[in-house]
Amino acid sequence: MKKKALITGITGQDGAYLAEFLLEKGYEVHGIKRRSSLFNTDRIDHLYKDPHEEDVRLFLHYGDMTDSSSLLRIIQKTQPDEIYNLAAQSHVAVSFEEPEYTANSDALGTLRVLEAIRILGLKDKTRFYQASTSELYGKVRETPQTEETPFHPRSPYAVAKLYAYWITVNYRESYGMYACNGILFNHESPVRGETFVTRKITRALARMKLGLQKGLYLGNLDAKRDWGHAQDYVEMQWLMLQQEVPEDYVIATGEQHSVRDFVDAAAQELGIGIRWEGSGVDEKGYDDKGRAIVEVDPRYFRPCEVETLLGDPTKAKEKLGWTPKITFKDLVSEMVRGDLKDAERDELVKRHGLKTYDHNE
Amino acid sequence: MPKKALITGISGQDGSYLARFLLAKGYDVVGSSRGKGPASSFPNLERLGIANQVAVESVSLADRQSVVQAVKKHAPDEIYNLAGQSSVGLSFEQPFETIESITVATLNLLEAIRVLQMPIRLFNAGSGDCFGNTGGKPADENTPFRPQSPYGAARAAAFWEVSSYREAYNIFACSGILFNHESPLRPDRFVTRKIVRTACRIAKGSPEKLNLGNIDVQRDWGWAPEYVEAMWLMLQQQAPEDYIIATGETHPLEDFVQAVFASLNLDWQEHVNQNPDLLRPTDVLISRANPAKAANKLNWKAKYMMPDVADMLVQAELKLIS
Repeated sequence: MKKKALITGITGQDGAYLAEFLLEKGYEVHGIKRRSSLFNTDRIDHLYKDPHEEDVRLFLHYGDMTDSSSLLRIIQKTQPDEIYNLAAQSHVAVSFEEPEYTANSDALGTLRVLEAIRILGLKDKTRFYQASTSELYGKVRETPQTEETPFHPRSPYAVAKLYAYWITVNYRESYGMYACNGILFNHESPVRGETFVTRKITRALARMKLGLQKGLYLGNLDAKRDWGHAQDYVEMQWLMLQQEVPEDYVIATGEQHSVRDFVDAAAQELGIGIRWEGSGVDEKGYDDKGRAIVEVDPRYFRPCEVETLLGDPTKAKEKLGWTPKITFKDLVSEMVRGDLKDAERDELVKRHGLKTYDHNE
Repeated sequence: MPKKALITGISGQDGSYLARFLLAKGYDVVGSSRGKGPASSFPNLERLGIANQVAVESVSLADRQSVVQAVKKHAPDEIYNLAGQSSVGLSFEQPFETIESITVATLNLLEAIRVLQMPIRLFNAGSGDCFGNTGGKPADENTPFRPQSPYGAARAAAFWEVSSYREAYNIFACSGILFNHESPLRPDRFVTRKIVRTACRIAKGSPEKLNLGNIDVQRDWGWAPEYVEAMWLMLQQQAPEDYIIATGETHPLEDFVQAVFASLNLDWQEHVNQNPDLLRPTDVLISRANPAKAANKLNWKAKYMMPDVADMLVQAELKLIS
């Protein structure tokens, strides 16, 4: 019998990679998407067939993390063996603007899924994966961070995810559910959301290279992150649900770079040399022709900053034999090439007098 | 001009004692409650004889607009956030009510203070249940949380909301991590109250038995009327900080039961049945606290320890039923 998986947040970066991974493993995959007046399934377009064709194994359902009845109905209908809870308002800076919605979708949303499993009598059948985050460590108590490092969240996003983390642990301990948290450090890819800093950088530099954009404005250049590739991380998400015993794991590379390093690596990939001058809000990155192409805009500072995150993935390696395969350099290179292609398409379209979008932030 | 305080959860045990404490300090006190109706409809305020001195505002704390309107209307100097579904056992049955009345409500208060840009000081009632099992080690302000109930998880998230808003927006907001504190105003569903009431009925000749779940659990039990002073003290400091509020002494529930029956000159073992149906899905076995910071910085120390608390509860109950 084919295994059935339900992915919340299937239209996001991780959802798309995970859906592809599970389809290759032979799963029947169900995903939940929000209703939108725009198409929002670009990232899984290559996986999604016309439902009238034969051997269709990917199904989409309308639902919303803020709507209990939709979640209950979809879980009842699909009776999944595994649920991957990837849906969330996942942008830290936006969570300061929309704290209530963030709590509703990220904290209450997770509780809604767990309660649905329990109420439907699926607690012995359905395994539950919760996408937790390195933002839980926030103002870090130690470096690197392990599964034992105490949390110190410092954004509405991190606080909502903290609740989701603990309620997942609680349902495992209270009701014997197979439920676990992957504490994922930053993970990127060519389909990362365009407003996340890595994608913002690769997209901007690629567009600048083709003359579609003038400058790039960033927040804290000194912020240090542990950046991995989403493709590696979804394998780990699946592995966590295939064990004898449910446990929580840190998923990270164990390597750290600053935002400035990321800009340098992306620029190098495009053959742009960047020279940094000044400090603080006056720091600027100049290209070979002496033009300031990267500048700091305090608008992108968070109300309180998470300066440094570095994960220690030892447990994942020792217990599940998992190590990330894609290096930082290859990650940046793939992202830049993806964005360069998009920029080339936009440039071509523009050159022929057809409409394209700048999507300024 | 007298200071003004807004107390959410005015109808509860802590809300009522805090209202009495603040009135004695000369504050104007406004209480919020989900229920409508005058203060006289709240039995705890009636019982403390202060129902006619407290203004009551009906506020739905899970509703942002309702919170913003109430805060704007009363413009308090201090807000004490004591509202919330407060039973650990019930939180397994009602996890949504629990997170909405605790986590969402606290977020709404913080957002109201931020949006209205008023110099309001906020006290948030945290809970020792955030720590879960500490392996017998006393929890202090740096001990990591490991909540073991939907209640504990909701309180932990509310604690970090307060911390985040303090760090991000420089709001004077702090949490008191309160360990168990009892009084005659505790509702019946709490185990201490149930023990005291049943023991008193038995002392008066009732043939019933007292049914209890796990009597091995160990708790730090203090006296609620003195805990509200610590809440107030936290808002009178130079800088907002979080504090553990507890007695520092931990006792098994069995000792509490023994103390209650001893106050009535009864041998508890003749009157107690253990009932596995009353066990929770998960339970914190030992809860232990280190309240040294409150002693050092707030000069606050619990005067009443568990045996005093047990005896005072019995005396109050006997008075009530005589």
